[in-house]
Amino acid sequence: MRHIGIIGAGLIGGMHAERWAQLPVELAGFYDVSSEAAAKAVGKFGGRAFPSLETLLAEVEVVGVCAPTPAHKDLVLAAAAAGKDVVCEKPMARHLRDAEEMVAACETAGMRLFVAHVVRFFPEYAHAKEVLDSGQLGRPGVIRTVRGGNFPAPDTQNWYTDFEQSGGVIMDMLIHDIDYARWCFGDVSRVFARGLTFSDVQGADHVLLTMRFQNGAIGHLEGSWAYPPGNFRTRLEIAGDEGLLEVDSLDTLPLSVTLKQEKATLAAGIPVPESPMHPTDDPYYREIAHFLACLESGDDFLVSPRDGLEALRIALAAIESLRTGQPVDVATFEEE
Amino acid sequence: MTVKIGILSFAHMHAYSYAACLKQIPSVKLVGLADDDPERGQETARRFGTRFFASAGALLGEKLDGVIICAENVKHRPLTELAAPRTPHILCEKPIATTMADAQVMIDVCAAHGTRLQIAFPVRFSPPVQRLKTILDEGTLGRIYSVKTTNHGRMPGGWFVDKALAGGGAVMDHTVHVIDLLRWFWNTEVTEVYAEVGYSLLHPGLGIDDVGMLSFRLATGAYGTLDASWSRPDCHPTWGDVKLEVLGERGIARVDAFSQNLAVYSDRTGKAQWVHWGSNTDLGLIRDFVDMIATGREPFITGYDGLKALEVALAAYLSAERGEPVALPLEREGGA
Repeated sequence: MRHIGIIGAGLIGGMHAERWAQLPVELAGFYDVSSEAAAKAVGKFGGRAFPSLETLLAEVEVVGVCAPTPAHKDLVLAAAAAGKDVVCEKPMARHLRDAEEMVAACETAGMRLFVAHVVRFFPEYAHAKEVLDSGQLGRPGVIRTVRGGNFPAPDTQNWYTDFEQSGGVIMDMLIHDIDYARWCFGDVSRVFARGLTFSDVQGADHVLLTMRFQNGAIGHLEGSWAYPPGNFRTRLEIAGDEGLLEVDSLDTLPLSVTLKQEKATLAAGIPVPESPMHPTDDPYYREIAHFLACLESGDDFLVSPRDGLEALRIALAAIESLRTGQPVDVATFEEE
Repeated sequence: MTVKIGILSFAHMHAYSYAACLKQIPSVKLVGLADDDPERGQETARRFGTRFFASAGALLGEKLDGVIICAENVKHRPLTELAAPRTPHILCEKPIATTMADAQVMIDVCAAHGTRLQIAFPVRFSPPVQRLKTILDEGTLGRIYSVKTTNHGRMPGGWFVDKALAGGGAVMDHTVHVIDLLRWFWNTEVTEVYAEVGYSLLHPGLGIDDVGMLSFRLATGAYGTLDASWSRPDCHPTWGDVKLEVLGERGIARVDAFSQNLAVYSDRTGKAQWVHWGSNTDLGLIRDFVDMIATGREPFITGYDGLKALEVALAAYLSAERGEPVALPLEREGGA
């Protein structure tokens, strides 16, 4: 039975741990630069809190890298050097050079690297890809996506709001849809973005990204950290020359609870919608289970390290477009 | 008083809706219609209980209070030049023309004869859109960051896909409605346009643009996008959409101008269809035109409004051709 070590005991580390708990593996525990955070995660999910990266690597076969983005490279390099297979959260790195080193290090060490682009595992997105691939929509022409929520709360996740660390809404949010769009439509030739990232606006980030694919198709991706709290939304639309597919989280809510405003809580009076799914259809479960299944079978991951790298390249090109106000050619794009 | 109106050409299908609206207004007499196609003209005249005139000149001899021009886009200019000396009010279908020079001639010839020229932008008469304008005027959203919009449609075929008659495809057809709304909302202008334009992308062999993804900046400082594509398949339950999402510092406002629909599923027709029960925007437009005639006031939507909306569509084509953002206003070239 494989032993799993999770590095980074924050929100996403906990989400991984919850899913590992449903699979035939042993959760060895957590390492976090904050020993307090690691201890807290252990209290909730079990295993033990490792005092260092080295002690964790000594006791596991599989590593989950769930630390903030800038830490990914060193952690993956250390894991690969120690001969561990890795599931690494998205974006795989903050910079292209880092991602290239990570891919090379895992290849050299013969270890497997899975970049956790979880959107490919969301049932509605996975089914949409199947519909597209079935040919029902004809030749793909236009893809539109929305991914939006409120600005990350500064108290718990302040690295998100630091552009140098997180890359802002493009690198943290839009990269999901960049990867998905590329999965559906193939490689991207150029991008053009407008947004708030480099504006004077504080406490909000928002981007409208247009892209041209190498096959001539056109994309429009919205990423938002500017919506009011409680308004997380995703939307997908794919138009082909023989059909159209649409799915919107605002329209697909089978359950909604609205309470009378008896108490002055934030949620009072606001419908709290839910989209309940069977536990094995949970996208994070499906992602982690897929990773484990591929480790066991030797099959390719649904998301290759190259896919993670290409999504990053497109995201960085989009940031460059935001910065310069000009379209950016993805193939020739080089990070400064 | 009776307001005597004629319709010049039924080439554009909106003419049928405008004729039906005219018949609903008791003070209006639909004196007649002229059409290049005598068969279509005679049949339509019978349908609306009015007279068919073999030429526009003959109809304009009837001492009309106003005419509605619904010819192919390139014919807007010659018909306006013919009508301006003979009738005091003209309502011209959008886009005003296919070139800036033609649009300017139309404005000038009307000014020279004291004829009032109104452009048909019926979406200004959509109650959900008008409600959004009120919300914006009240400053409810605070500082406006961005506006994400769509004006999707089915591919209309016919002369709409003939560049010599329409001046362009989807971008020419579907840019102007939304741009007019934005200019009206904020009393502003588009200052820069970048566009990805797709030719025959969703309709193989079409030979004209059917996808247009515009990314623009307004003089207010806000940025935005407009998807002007003919990306709704023939089997789509309605003709298309006009959707606007305005993002501001205090929240987001979303309008789907044509969402007040019945969902109708019929085995007899073999289709699912949305039947609009919202207010008829064409009726709002026609009532406004008649009111302008009856009261002698200036038009609510001017030739200049038509020209500035057209300019954005032309800039989008220019941007796609050059592969870079285009600054507005465009430099006017003689005879361009």
